[in-house]
Amino acid sequence: MTEDEKFFAWLDGELEPADAARMEAKVASDPELARLAEQHHLLGEQLRGAFDPIAAEPIPARLRAAIHPSVDVIDFAAAKRSRTMRSLPQWTALAATLAVGIAVGTMVPQRSSGPVQVEGGTMYAAASLNRALDTQLASAPTGDVRIGLTFRDHAGNVCRSFTAPASSGLACRNGGRWRLKGLFAAPEGQAGDYRMAAGMDPNLAALVGSTMANEPFDSNQERAAKRRGWQ
Amino acid sequence: MDQPSSFEDQLAALLPRLRRFAHALSRNSADADDLTQATIERGLKSRAQWQPGTRLDSWCYRIMRNLWIDTARAQSRKSAREAPEEEGLNVGEDPRGMDAAIDLKRIMAAMSRLPEEQREVVALILIEGFGYREVSEMLGLPIGTVSSRLVRGRTALLAIVGER
Repeated sequence: MTEDEKFFAWLDGELEPADAARMEAKVASDPELARLAEQHHLLGEQLRGAFDPIAAEPIPARLRAAIHPSVDVIDFAAAKRSRTMRSLPQWTALAATLAVGIAVGTMVPQRSSGPVQVEGGTMYAAASLNRALDTQLASAPTGDVRIGLTFRDHAGNVCRSFTAPASSGLACRNGGRWRLKGLFAAPEGQAGDYRMAAGMDPNLAALVGSTMANEPFDSNQERAAKRRGWQ
Repeated sequence: MDQPSSFEDQLAALLPRLRRFAHALSRNSADADDLTQATIERGLKSRAQWQPGTRLDSWCYRIMRNLWIDTARAQSRKSAREAPEEEGLNVGEDPRGMDAAIDLKRIMAAMSRLPEEQREVVALILIEGFGYREVSEMLGLPIGTVSSRLVRGRTALLAIVGER
């Protein structure tokens, strides 16, 4: 190590204690070196000050999606390519929707404070689910409901997928409300485990794939859509 | 919830730091996210090569750095023909707010003038906070090489930042 390198290694806390003490004494007795140490200390602070805000930003949706390619890349791409070819999971999804719809329809009183409200045989998001769909960004999860993807369907309506402790589903804007297009119970033993959000129920993934017209929104598009009231 | 988190979860937890490093390497927000995405994809594909018990962060940083070298090589051949290097500096409409965006733009411009080999060492040690030895292992370089590149890089950077 040259003397120069030793000076910087000292500055970075990389010297052994004995060497560090020697360098410290040297810097203390040399105003020129002391000034240099101060300048480099400031440079380090400037660098971190400029770059650290990047690490504090929300992660763009496409990067989060890239972590779970089975759902967000492969499935949706494949689903779009084969849209004309109605695949089995889509029918399964519809069947599951009906099943849950009927269950909810009979179990949930018409004027309930639960997360789902049934009106004229159509399910709408209510209470905490409605709030989450209205206000939450995928990048900033709070509460029990997590938002997954936001995108437009073929009719141009904004849709959002979500995961709640015991279920996951898809809701699309309809007459200023969130109409549930699908609601799927979490598999046995997985209720309350948010890893399902990562893995996304295959039925939900298929439903999302067949509903989505283009690409899912990135975090900026999601924010903008929220500002526009999900129009 | 005590069980160790999945590979995907650990990778997701590294994303903020990986994005920061990507910005330091590419000095351009769009390129940085492309690079981060390529790193995620490569990491998932090569996950069998990561040894549990070793640091996943170092492993991912190395992947990102190697991908960047490949990209940068291809780009520099291209940009040598097409456009001046300065074009890479445009951070455009920046959601980070004015002051932060200006700081970042100025520092990125200064970083742009360092040779690649110095820039990566400066970023890993001064911004990302790795130790000399970690960086030497990550990049497969002798520690003396890391140390001398760091001296040259930060000395040049100080001169550039102090120019105005």
